[in-house]
Amino acid sequence: MADIEIEIDGNVVTAQAGEMLISVTDREGISVPRFCYHKKLSVAASCRMCLVDVEGAPKPQTACSTPVNEGMKVHTQNAKVKASQKAVMEFLLVNHPLDCPICDQGGECELQDVAMTYGSDMSYFSEGKRVVVDNDIGPLIHTDMTRCIHCTRCVRFGNEIGGIAEMGGTGRGEDLKIEPFLQEGITSELSGNMIDVCPVGALTSKPFRYALRTWQMNATPSIARHDLVGSNVFAQTYKGKVRRVVAKDNDNVNETWISDRDRFSYEGLSHENRLLKPQIKLNGKWKEVQWNEALEFTVRGLANQVSDNQANEIGALASNTATLEEFYLLQKILREMGSENIDHRLDIKDLENSITLDSNIKLTELESIDYGLIIGSNPRLEQPMINHRLRKAVLAGADIDVVNVMPFDFNYRINSENIISPYQTATILAEISKSVLKSVHAKNYLSNVSARDSAQSIANRLLTADNSVIILGEHIINNPQAISIAKLISEIAQQTNSATLNISATSNSIAAEMANFVPGQGGLDANAMLAAKLKAYILLDIYPEYDFHNSVKALEAFGNNTFVVSMNSFKDKVISQCSDVMLPIASFYETSGSHVNIDGKVQSFAAAVSAPSESKPAWKVLKVLADLLKLQGFHYEDSTQITSEAVNQNRQKATDERPVSVIAEAKRGIDVIYQKSPYATDVLLRHASALHATKIGQVHLASMNKSTAEKLQVERGKKYLGVPVMVTESVANDCVFINARHPIGGKS
Amino acid sequence: MISDKAKEQIDAWIKKYPEGRQSSAVMEALKIVQAENANSLSAEAIQAVADYLDMPRIAVQEVATFYENYNHKPAGKHTIRICHNISCMLNGADNLIDYLEQKLGIRTGEVTKDGLINVKKVECLGACVGAPMFQIGDKYYENLTEKKIDEILATLK
Amino acid sequence: MNEVCFKNLNKEECHSLKVYRESGGYKVWHKILQGEITPEEIIDELKTSGLRGRGGAGFPTGLKWSFMPRQSDGQKYVVCNSDEGEPGTCKDRDILRYNPHAVIEGMAIGGFVMNASVGYNYIRGEFMEPFKRFEGALKEAYDAGLLGKNINGSSISFDLYTHLGAGAYICGEETALLESIEGKKGQPRFKPPFPANVGLFGKPTTINNTESFASVPEILANGGQRFADLGVENSGGCKLFSVSGHVAKPANFEIPMGTPFKDLLEMAGGMRKGGKLKAVIPGGSSTPVLTAEAAMAMTMDYDGIEVAGSMLGAGSVIVMDDSTCMVETLTRLAHFYYDESCGQCTPCREGTGWLYRVLKRMTDGDGVPEDIDLLLSVQDKIMGNTICALGDAAAMPVESFLRNFRSEFEYYIEHGRSMIKG
Repeated sequence: MADIEIEIDGNVVTAQAGEMLISVTDREGISVPRFCYHKKLSVAASCRMCLVDVEGAPKPQTACSTPVNEGMKVHTQNAKVKASQKAVMEFLLVNHPLDCPICDQGGECELQDVAMTYGSDMSYFSEGKRVVVDNDIGPLIHTDMTRCIHCTRCVRFGNEIGGIAEMGGTGRGEDLKIEPFLQEGITSELSGNMIDVCPVGALTSKPFRYALRTWQMNATPSIARHDLVGSNVFAQTYKGKVRRVVAKDNDNVNETWISDRDRFSYEGLSHENRLLKPQIKLNGKWKEVQWNEALEFTVRGLANQVSDNQANEIGALASNTATLEEFYLLQKILREMGSENIDHRLDIKDLENSITLDSNIKLTELESIDYGLIIGSNPRLEQPMINHRLRKAVLAGADIDVVNVMPFDFNYRINSENIISPYQTATILAEISKSVLKSVHAKNYLSNVSARDSAQSIANRLLTADNSVIILGEHIINNPQAISIAKLISEIAQQTNSATLNISATSNSIAAEMANFVPGQGGLDANAMLAAKLKAYILLDIYPEYDFHNSVKALEAFGNNTFVVSMNSFKDKVISQCSDVMLPIASFYETSGSHVNIDGKVQSFAAAVSAPSESKPAWKVLKVLADLLKLQGFHYEDSTQITSEAVNQNRQKATDERPVSVIAEAKRGIDVIYQKSPYATDVLLRHASALHATKIGQVHLASMNKSTAEKLQVERGKKYLGVPVMVTESVANDCVFINARHPIGGKS
Repeated sequence: MISDKAKEQIDAWIKKYPEGRQSSAVMEALKIVQAENANSLSAEAIQAVADYLDMPRIAVQEVATFYENYNHKPAGKHTIRICHNISCMLNGADNLIDYLEQKLGIRTGEVTKDGLINVKKVECLGACVGAPMFQIGDKYYENLTEKKIDEILATLK
Repeated sequence: MNEVCFKNLNKEECHSLKVYRESGGYKVWHKILQGEITPEEIIDELKTSGLRGRGGAGFPTGLKWSFMPRQSDGQKYVVCNSDEGEPGTCKDRDILRYNPHAVIEGMAIGGFVMNASVGYNYIRGEFMEPFKRFEGALKEAYDAGLLGKNINGSSISFDLYTHLGAGAYICGEETALLESIEGKKGQPRFKPPFPANVGLFGKPTTINNTESFASVPEILANGGQRFADLGVENSGGCKLFSVSGHVAKPANFEIPMGTPFKDLLEMAGGMRKGGKLKAVIPGGSSTPVLTAEAAMAMTMDYDGIEVAGSMLGAGSVIVMDDSTCMVETLTRLAHFYYDESCGQCTPCREGTGWLYRVLKRMTDGDGVPEDIDLLLSVQDKIMGNTICALGDAAAMPVESFLRNFRSEFEYYIEHGRSMIKG
């Protein structure tokens, strides 16, 4: 659009023809009060607070809904404007309770702020105020709807961003009430953003309720580490504790939104299960000791187990929530000691067959795709902010096809949902590949493939779309043909000029790869380390019962004749059982460090609070440990030196020579896809109580169709691998999809 | 919840609107379902309409609570909707409301014990030159007098 | 009298296609189908006729039709506003009952002029009798091959449907009406964009009142000039006036614009027995109230009523005699706007309730002298600050009642009872 000139309060400013006046005033720093307007939501123009005087218009105009045009003259401060704004303010306060002293929004209330500037110091209203009865809308959001000013930001958030219309305005006139359908709870995975967009204290954080006045807190910018996005947040702290987490704007990452997972996980920080003191095991009994004693015990223990030329008898494993710096230091310690037994991929059954697939599309670019193919993912629960970008693309006209083992609840229109058994995933990709390659020299593994209609149509879309992406999801990681699937995707993407997005591993796993936290030449991978029963293990925030694909094997490996150093933020029974020393480490927001997101963006953060009691940031512990082990090259002043060393190290990627196999193996039996509940993917989340009370947090099901249930001899009401069975024909054949809150028993 | 006959009626309305705009039929769908369910809309009824028209439940609830013609608690078999706006008021509507209340032994907003009749005070029904007036079902009764009301009430069964 | 919309009022079965055709109905439509008239000619005739929107706003119809981007690709709509609900107004009900084909033909012509192949007539939900009449007429028109696709082998298509309301005054506001057809709450849209660009289902749409559409065939049949000549300058043609309240024979009258009010009052049989004219609301409850003196000097046309201090609105003349308590009457009107506010925008949602409560307190005998200034201040704060005209409509009566009958309010406050009723 063309640049035009308009006049605001006598000053000439440049604007784009057709943009709304409020964007111009915001850009120019001209203060125009508003309640219903939100830059990321559609315009409602209903609060009437942003009324300004446009020359030539008989009535005041709302800046949020007035498109600018050449030569327009606007007054934002004259008497007419002041009178209108004061009038609106008075009306807003007519039915708004004056309970600011007990309102959680006090201090960050837009109504309070604007009232200070635009309001009157007395009210002429002497009739009774409206009282609204509140409903319980779930464990995350507290409502005080008597305070609601009907701006409908929460309603529009649900319709436009959350993608499920949950809040609405019922009744009319003065009885207009903002509420969900018949007192039901809010279920969106992004629901907490309604708290952020609410300009008043009508929707506030339930876990935070009545805890503190907002101005008592400090806000430290930080990065949420529960997914591949690394949403930007503020950790709000008071007296050394994180008391609330809110979104921080970053248009390239999370815009202005965060998932409920990122918002409410902090609750786990103050859980009683935190590991607070170093402990060593003496004659089978735990003893709390000082840090130096614990570390000396550690060094001695490692030395006893592993003599100088047997460094490969030691292994290091880390969970994907570690920071880039922690991954880097731990791998450096191992490598300096002479061991290449390093791995963070704990969840994968067959690491020989693990996926490598690069992502080559940025988060912001996802919005402008016109076609997407999702394979093996329920992105809404797994990667909410990536899903949000996909939703934006669909709203803008993109089509998305899905290849999954069962239908999921997408919050946007899906073009076609192809439900197929895991053993057919490689096959359908081969068919797509064959359709794509039909005129080109076909690969020999495609010779016996003939493409079904859906594969042909997907191929067609990939070929004709201008901006397409193929997304590889978590459900594939334990597919016996995972590597073939990844290779086929890569090949199809190349042939169709599509981008690829690998969301098969999550949290800070990209940082682990960047830090080279994988086995080197001659080193053992995670599964091999467990199988080899090494003499010593260093475990970084690992919870064997939850984190390994095969927890039974892990417990065996960490058994009697080995020395296990556990660095943990939380304690649990299994760790106590299998460790020899437990070193308490900092959790989220308690340490400085970095997250690397799907864009490859290294986002560093400072600690918002100190680690509780005697626990310490893991990077500091690792540094001291390295010194005690008399290793060279660990003289860091602060964590940023480690960051730059980690980012700048040379990493060589081996070329992948593994063959592609596309033959459907129907006879291989029943595939189990096990996925942790989105609120149980890491230890902090597992201790965040409010999230677990939500509908998403409560899902705990092993879904399968009737024929699978018969083969497994289970039925509804019974359990499979310890998880309640749900029989539904919507699941593909020979497949169990498990979404579980806690580890499943005896899986292999 | 929605009978086949009701579905047929709703489908006839859906046909009036462009493809994919079936939610335009929601107002009639609610009336049709209300008529089938003792003149009131339960949560299940709203849910059923939402499902049938592929709309979010809350969107249907918004419509059901915005417009005046829907009931959310049990109504009588016959609802007398008596206008009390200006032209009717000038012609004695308030006296007739008192008369109705007295005669039926209920207040406006209530249902007679036998469940036959309830009286609702409503705003202008657009028959001002026939004031005072009320509506029962689809029919308008104009130029009302106490005597006329007696006659009309006698026909309600 | 009764020359346009009510032309056939006295005939048997006046709503039937037969009677409508006998009086020249659908002749214009046939000419259009035969390609004898262009859209531009129709717009010119309408401009000449001086027809202004009969729903209340009085916007020139010809000009409105010329705003539609008729050449643009894609679906366009014409919509008829039969959501008659302004207190005092009941003319469209009679047009639908007694001359439905004029509405159909008017809408079809509108569809042709604006290149819209689909129309909706939004009839208020309570108008079941008019609805059935209109549906009957629609069936007749379809059966006679007057509507549908490629009508009579021409390139013209026009499908017409009715949509029923469900009880909300605000749906008479044209954009609220569009929302309602889309199956949503009837909350007015902010403008711009205007419906001519983004209307029903997001497509260009023109909305006219029932009486406006019904006037179109007659205007085109006899020429715009003849229609204009029926009325006075700036107010072409005839207009329906609903005369209600304290008159001997309340009824709808289609009379030439510019007719003196006192003549209209006479047509309505004068004041009912024993009454003396006290006040008149000339255009529906939203328009300012006039004193008897001002009313008796007024002519019934846009300018004449404006000179008298009010607005023609929808032509809904509410006549009050000296037994009327103005405080209680205003309280009733204030309750109406409070009840019918959609709740979307702040000044109307909060202000209408405030106005009503102050007045209610006054009629309960608990008024205080400051209440008069308070009412004036609250209505002034609503005025001009809302999304749609309902805010202004709620404010205007307050100001005019207080201006013209202030002493009654002062009396009520001082004595805790009505000056008129005691």
